[in-house]
Amino acid sequence: MRRVLYDIRHLTAYDYASTVSSARCVLRLKPRDAAGQRCRAHGVAVKPQPRRRQPGVDFFGNAVESILIDAPHGALSIEARSIVEVSRPARPSSAGESVERVAAAALRERALAPDSPAHYLYASPLVAPVEAVTAYARNSLPTSRDALEGARELMARIRADFDYEPEATDVATPLTEAFAARRGVCQDFAHIMIAGLRGVGVPARYVSGYIRTIPPPGEKRLDGADATHAWVDVWCGETAGWRGLDPTNAIEAGADHIELAVGRDFSDVSPVYGVILGAGEQKLEVAVDVVPIEG
Amino acid sequence: MGISYRVHGEAQERAWPLSRLPLLIGEAEWAEIAAGVAQRAQLMEAVLADVYGPGRLTAEGLLPAAAVTGSPDYLRPLAGVKPPGGRWLNLYGVDIGRGPDGRWWALGDRAQAPSGVGYALENRLVMSRAFPALAREMNVARLAPFFRAFRAGLAAAAERSQPRICLLTPGPWSETYFEQTYLARYLGFLLVEGDDLIEQDGRVHVRTIAGLKRADVIWRRVDGDFVDPLELNGGSRLGVPGLVSAIRNGAVVVANMPGAGLIESRALLGFLPQIARRMLGEDLRMPHIATWWCGQEDARGDVLARFDQLALAPAFGAAGVGEPGGPVLPAEIAPAERERLRAQVSARGADFVGQEVVSLSTTPVWVDGKLAPRPFVLRVYAAATADGWTVMPGGFCRISDEPDARAVRMGSGVRSADVWVLSDAPVAMETLLPSSENVAIRRLLGNLPSRAADNLFWYGRYLERCEATARLVRVLVARTMEADLGSGGMSETLGRLKNLLVAWGAAPRPEKGAPAPDALTAAQAALFSPGQYGSARELVQRARHAASVIRERLSVDAWRLVRDLDGQAQGAPAETLAGAHDTADRMLRILAALAGLAQENTNHVAGWRFLDMGRRVERGINTCRFARVFADDVATADDLDILLDLIDSQITYRSRYVIGMALAPVRDMCLLDPFNPRSVGFQIARLSEHLAQLPTLIEDGLFEEPRRLVARLQADAQSANAEEIDARLILAYEQRLMSLADAVAARYFLQRPGKSARRAPSSLG
Repeated sequence: MRRVLYDIRHLTAYDYASTVSSARCVLRLKPRDAAGQRCRAHGVAVKPQPRRRQPGVDFFGNAVESILIDAPHGALSIEARSIVEVSRPARPSSAGESVERVAAAALRERALAPDSPAHYLYASPLVAPVEAVTAYARNSLPTSRDALEGARELMARIRADFDYEPEATDVATPLTEAFAARRGVCQDFAHIMIAGLRGVGVPARYVSGYIRTIPPPGEKRLDGADATHAWVDVWCGETAGWRGLDPTNAIEAGADHIELAVGRDFSDVSPVYGVILGAGEQKLEVAVDVVPIEG
Repeated sequence: MGISYRVHGEAQERAWPLSRLPLLIGEAEWAEIAAGVAQRAQLMEAVLADVYGPGRLTAEGLLPAAAVTGSPDYLRPLAGVKPPGGRWLNLYGVDIGRGPDGRWWALGDRAQAPSGVGYALENRLVMSRAFPALAREMNVARLAPFFRAFRAGLAAAAERSQPRICLLTPGPWSETYFEQTYLARYLGFLLVEGDDLIEQDGRVHVRTIAGLKRADVIWRRVDGDFVDPLELNGGSRLGVPGLVSAIRNGAVVVANMPGAGLIESRALLGFLPQIARRMLGEDLRMPHIATWWCGQEDARGDVLARFDQLALAPAFGAAGVGEPGGPVLPAEIAPAERERLRAQVSARGADFVGQEVVSLSTTPVWVDGKLAPRPFVLRVYAAATADGWTVMPGGFCRISDEPDARAVRMGSGVRSADVWVLSDAPVAMETLLPSSENVAIRRLLGNLPSRAADNLFWYGRYLERCEATARLVRVLVARTMEADLGSGGMSETLGRLKNLLVAWGAAPRPEKGAPAPDALTAAQAALFSPGQYGSARELVQRARHAASVIRERLSVDAWRLVRDLDGQAQGAPAETLAGAHDTADRMLRILAALAGLAQENTNHVAGWRFLDMGRRVERGINTCRFARVFADDVATADDLDILLDLIDSQITYRSRYVIGMALAPVRDMCLLDPFNPRSVGFQIARLSEHLAQLPTLIEDGLFEEPRRLVARLQADAQSANAEEIDARLILAYEQRLMSLADAVAARYFLQRPGKSARRAPSSLG
């Protein structure tokens, strides 16, 4: 089992064209303490100084912090720093349950706790089951097939069939559009895979986080060149539980993946989300560094 | 007879015709209905408290978790929250129908923000006005006690003994806005939009002209998911960022709690009988339509087997009978559609329920001059009070226009009827007037919300500007007709009038080098043109829009007059000078009536002050503009004559001065005379009085900016004499009035240069 310690820096900076009189933000920047990872140290620096900072935990168990800035400001920067230890044990490559049985078990579920598969069966704000996507997923997930094997195949097909194009979509692009165009970024691939899985009745949730990038041989890692990442957790029945699959890279979530937050889709886990009182345009800059310090 | 209703996105209101025949229900029958409804309300409260709380129902297997989680109104941020005031539901509604055997059935539960309660009230007022003796003789149960109980229930839920209760509206575009304004006025609640409220230090406040004032109770008519863009639907512009955190903090009662809409899900219906036995230890008193949630394997199998005998409906979501996305009859849709539906139910059964098709009994209505039977649905309401649930004796009855009596075919209803619950004994007369309670005398009602102040101010300004346009047109047309009759050439002065209309934005600017438009063309544009921002038509539209936002503050008479005014401006443009004169004249008469209503029928409190300040500031500015054109340093006798017309001061002038037209006396009358209600000096004096009466934010003895500006302006106007006035000074007065208007806006109104919710796009990999 590989064990890696990461030093992560995540900067979000806004530059406003005209002064903003107040801002309220919800931050989901603290890596989860979940199966296979521990957040050893964490801090967030906010400029200008907020009048109020209130830590909490959201429904899905993600750490959140609400901040309120009520002094006029022309720029806002939020810089998170985390030390995270990741070691994910290898797990069987099949669920031991068919798609049909996983779907039926989810519908019989008795718990309303955050990990309950019942929360991840239906349409959510950004992911509604769509017939075309369901049909696409069904090819890999016929009712009698092992759920995890089917999901892994779906992941591999998304990787093969879709082009990775950062300019093709933005956060607001509906998944139907990215699906029709067969291109997008990690968020689109995760949403499409979730829609497909839910369409055939298999619970699926969205994971936001980071992925370690390996610079090309002979080159140094560039500062701030990493990115936030997104992948999918698939529920494979009571025994196998939740399994992380990354359709952007067609790999299972492993020692290179660091989880920030989970939810039904991106709208539940946005790392920085805010309401500002002000007019005019804003310029946004995001810089992420994922530096392994051990392992 | 009818009530106003707006179809989503439509600017004009529609009348929802009221049937002349009330639906009659006997006392004994009603008692059974009321008991069934109260029990259902109690059950729903228990379900909500459990689902958002300990989750016993799901843990014990009485309710599958997936029958809850599919609802878009299952709002996860509310899980584990203890509702301030102790309840999830304060007002519960249920649609019921009567079967052919006379039994009443529950057709659908309403808890999101049940509408129709105000319509029921208005229907009653209309009917009792139309048949006063009949309602009394038939011993019709009164509605007022229900509303009093509802209000008392909300007040009792608050922390403070004199709570400020707000009705949170989505705004004038909401389809039931009229009902909301009506209820706010009837119940004495403050009508607010999301922007009026702010969460600060864990509490919710109303932004008023006197600063932030605590909001204790919010009766929301905004859907639960939209009340807080920070924790719930981030795209919402109708909510209050931080509201959910204030709820969690226990600092504000929200009725119904966000998330209460969950119990509208049809998926729950099939589980309610066993839940009632578990939670209440009782059987349901009123049956509901037999319903099978297809998320259960057995139920799905049964539904697929009886596909053509059942109605299929979405398991979650609120789409009702007859609405898009509502129930369908597989047996009656196109075969391809039917097969598609069948495949969907097989693949994702959890999204659907199957329901027994029930028939409704009918009520008589007038159709083409004779009585005809039509099926109906009745919405009944229950309000939470300290002593349990109170059910409104009556309700909102919607009658279908189709004879088809199956409940699934019942549209949203094309007419409504009052519902009379008939008692055997005479009914005590009662209105909202409290009888035995001690009533504290109040002469001022709370503080004026900043948004209302803003709209009142602009309502006043637009009406006044409209009046100025109408006056310009009337003078232009009258003088042109005189000139045509050969009584003299006033061509230069008339040219100035037309130029003023152009500068005003009321008449189109002629092409470079082209002659000014003729009087008729200018008058037509100034009165009727939809494209000219300064035309009477545009200005009335704006006044009407401002008025619509503060409708609960305007009298019915005022609202009617605004509509009449709009009718004048929307009419076919007059084709002759005389016709244009008539229209301008009629508009001025309506405007005079509105001004009279504002003075004589409005309480002289803060709201009225803002309305009047709007008028005064606008009139002051307009009069300066008139004076700059017609009383400049080289003004002719014709010019001065026109100016006196425009400021309605011919008679006074002639009685005061026998010398004929002279510059200084006209200027004095127009700008300084404190006794002339049309002079600039008069407007300044009124503005000064108003500002002196408004609340200040800090009691430090210093004038706030608007007051400081008006004091200086007033001192200058009072101490000036007519000989000093010149064009430069008039312009300075005009500019100082504009600065004053800006200062009023900055101090009292909402500052919202574009509130926006933004989800940070991150650099996604």
